[in-house]
Amino acid sequence: MITFSSVSLIYPNAQRTIVEDISFTVNEGELLLLIGHTGAGKSSLLKLINGLIPHHTGGILTGEISVAGRSTRALKPGELADVVGIVGQNPINGFVSDIVEDEIAFGLESLGIAPEIMRKRVEEVLDLLALAPLRRRNISELSGGEQQRVAIAAALVTNPKVLLLDEPTSALDPIAAEEVLSILHRLVHDLGLTVILAEHRLERVIGFVDRIILIHGDGSVDLGPARQILSSSPIAPPLVELAKKLELGEIPLSIREFRKIAPEISEAPANLIEKLKGDAILTINSVSASYDQDQRSNALKDVSIGINGGEIVALMGRNGAGKTTLLKCAVAQAPLTKGEVRVNQRDPKSFTDKELIRFVGYIPQDAGDLLYGQSIKQECDLADLDNGVEPGTTLSIYKELMKIPSLNSHPRDISEGQRLGLALSIILSAQPALVILDEPTRGLDYEAKKVLIKILKQIASNLNRSVLISTHDVELVAEVADRVIFLADGEVIADGSSREVLKASPAFAPQVSKALPNNSWLSLSDVERYLSERN
Amino acid sequence: MTNAPRASQESFHPLFWWLWALTLLVILLLSSSTLTSISISIGAIALVLMKRSNTYWYKSFRWSLRLAALAFTLRMAIGVVIGVPMPGQVLFTIPSIKLPDLFVGIRLGGDVTSQRLSAAFDEATLLVALILIFAAASALSNPHELLRVLPKKYYGMGLATVIASSVAPQSARSIERVRAARRLRGESSSGMASFRKVGIPVLEESLERSIDLAASLESRGYGYFPNPSRYRRQIWRLQETLALAAPIYALIFLLLLPSISGTLLAGLVLAAVIIPGFVS
Repeated sequence: MITFSSVSLIYPNAQRTIVEDISFTVNEGELLLLIGHTGAGKSSLLKLINGLIPHHTGGILTGEISVAGRSTRALKPGELADVVGIVGQNPINGFVSDIVEDEIAFGLESLGIAPEIMRKRVEEVLDLLALAPLRRRNISELSGGEQQRVAIAAALVTNPKVLLLDEPTSALDPIAAEEVLSILHRLVHDLGLTVILAEHRLERVIGFVDRIILIHGDGSVDLGPARQILSSSPIAPPLVELAKKLELGEIPLSIREFRKIAPEISEAPANLIEKLKGDAILTINSVSASYDQDQRSNALKDVSIGINGGEIVALMGRNGAGKTTLLKCAVAQAPLTKGEVRVNQRDPKSFTDKELIRFVGYIPQDAGDLLYGQSIKQECDLADLDNGVEPGTTLSIYKELMKIPSLNSHPRDISEGQRLGLALSIILSAQPALVILDEPTRGLDYEAKKVLIKILKQIASNLNRSVLISTHDVELVAEVADRVIFLADGEVIADGSSREVLKASPAFAPQVSKALPNNSWLSLSDVERYLSERN
Repeated sequence: MTNAPRASQESFHPLFWWLWALTLLVILLLSSSTLTSISISIGAIALVLMKRSNTYWYKSFRWSLRLAALAFTLRMAIGVVIGVPMPGQVLFTIPSIKLPDLFVGIRLGGDVTSQRLSAAFDEATLLVALILIFAAASALSNPHELLRVLPKKYYGMGLATVIASSVAPQSARSIERVRAARRLRGESSSGMASFRKVGIPVLEESLERSIDLAASLESRGYGYFPNPSRYRRQIWRLQETLALAAPIYALIFLLLLPSISGTLLAGLVLAAVIIPGFVS
């Protein structure tokens, strides 16, 4: 279906080639997973397949790529629209209509399909992706998972032979991700569609895929069956890492496969030391909030929580459950209708912005919003000035947190993980007692996530601060959080130690706990600790 | 019926507001009367308020109003400070700077006469009316709908228009977000400094979004196939014709009766501007 023959790609002015002399073939009806570190070239490879590279984005291409017998060199992406559908990283940016139905019909309109056939195709796709009840809704009012489904429907409506998806689940909660992936699985099995998806969260997709393409980042790629690639890949889901740690000799791709080969491990009853809690830093007392002027719908309903010093608390729940609104309460940016918020015993509204950053450091969903400098050096200097600290403080914190890129690079050009690190250093240089992060793992690879985990633990233990983090990433929660607060439809439905809360929920349980249900372990580091104590 | 029904019975044809704006623009430039500029400005604001909606392009109007206010202030300030000397009653005098002989006839500062002030006011109101005509059209028309009705011949133009007209409203949304983030860095600065700090990320984001939108249009075959079809029928209804007839009548009046009294014309234009507010 897709053939790459000795393909090389380099961007003008770039130091390295994205891919160099690669050749492979993808068969019809395959589900292929594309993995690699951030910036290794996953998106570029996808764009090569539908011709966006080199026709739209630029880049120097040698070799030959053919899709369903057509060469992407000779044809522009528009001329391949009937054989390749693509869903980009931020589907919301690519929407050309406001109404679900119209968005889906757009591809057919461009191809000039007759109205009666168009109507039929739209209905079929609406049913296929379970979007029929949403057909007249405004796209901007839909949840992330629903938007993702609309984007897939819009790409599928022209009946393409190949569907390309760039991180389709990275913004989704576990349940919405599951929905999207099972639909993809069905498309491959029932319709014989060829699907290639790039994804960071391997634990979500690994059970579905046939083969894996691993992009090393130095120009070479490996293509092979999932098991073979994962046995040697530096990037692997927690389940595979667990099997390697326990030296099981096999690579399990699903929880079911793991349980078949799982060893009996009897662990000594874990001596769970209750962490000493500091003073209350943030208290939220029966707070309700609403974005609606008439207060017909509430984003938060009568929520009460407290965060103490030294704690790492994870806020979980589905898209639209009110997580961001709850976080915003701490910085007086939420539309409260009732209740009170106390930061260090004071109402956050009574602080000026300059005072507030000494108590609460807040990283919004897009960490880049915090940045406006033209280089890393300038950004750090500006932060020193804003926070009223010694010149050089922010930069030294940044250097402590991670290996930093060149001081002159632009904050927009560095990787997602490095940008998050920069935003964290800026926040931390004001010495806040509470650090809040909204969805920090979006777009982070495993490597960057490990660094983040280390940093968060460091913030909470060495410096006795608290961390409040909202995330869909159960594996991250399992690694770092002491406590989990679960929100549903604006209400707190669970608040307890991560062990209790995560183990109780089938959808939100981490892989290690699903794989070894009789043990109390949540994360790989729990298993590592056990192994090192045993030896 | 093979086509899907219209999304909303209340919305005008996507081209309506731009034709409406074009007609008003011609009236504005032909009449070049301050009274007309003022009545168009007032009419446009009233109309937008009458057609209140919850869409992001509607919300961008707030920012257009600020832009209009800024343009007015700047034009007035420049008019007072720089220009050729004008006769008339001296209202007040500001310190003047002697310019080299090269700039003969132009002065900086000096006497401010009533005539200078009224000339500056005339041009400033013209500028405001221009901005508000386009602001109203872009606040009331859905940029995405426009893309669908433009003929294939104007593919490039359509693409550019849609990207341009969706950038401004979406940027208004990003501004709010980035401003909230700015406060998280503890600065409540305002004025030019904050404009730069908010402006840069917003511009970068809108560039990124435009590239994504163009890529999406391109990969979905927009403009590549000879005869695009329509999922919904976009019908030009009687309502559109009636609503557009009003400004066209005003224009004909102006063309046939050049000596028409300024007040009468301004009244006619005001009526023409707000008539679409009563038609749906």
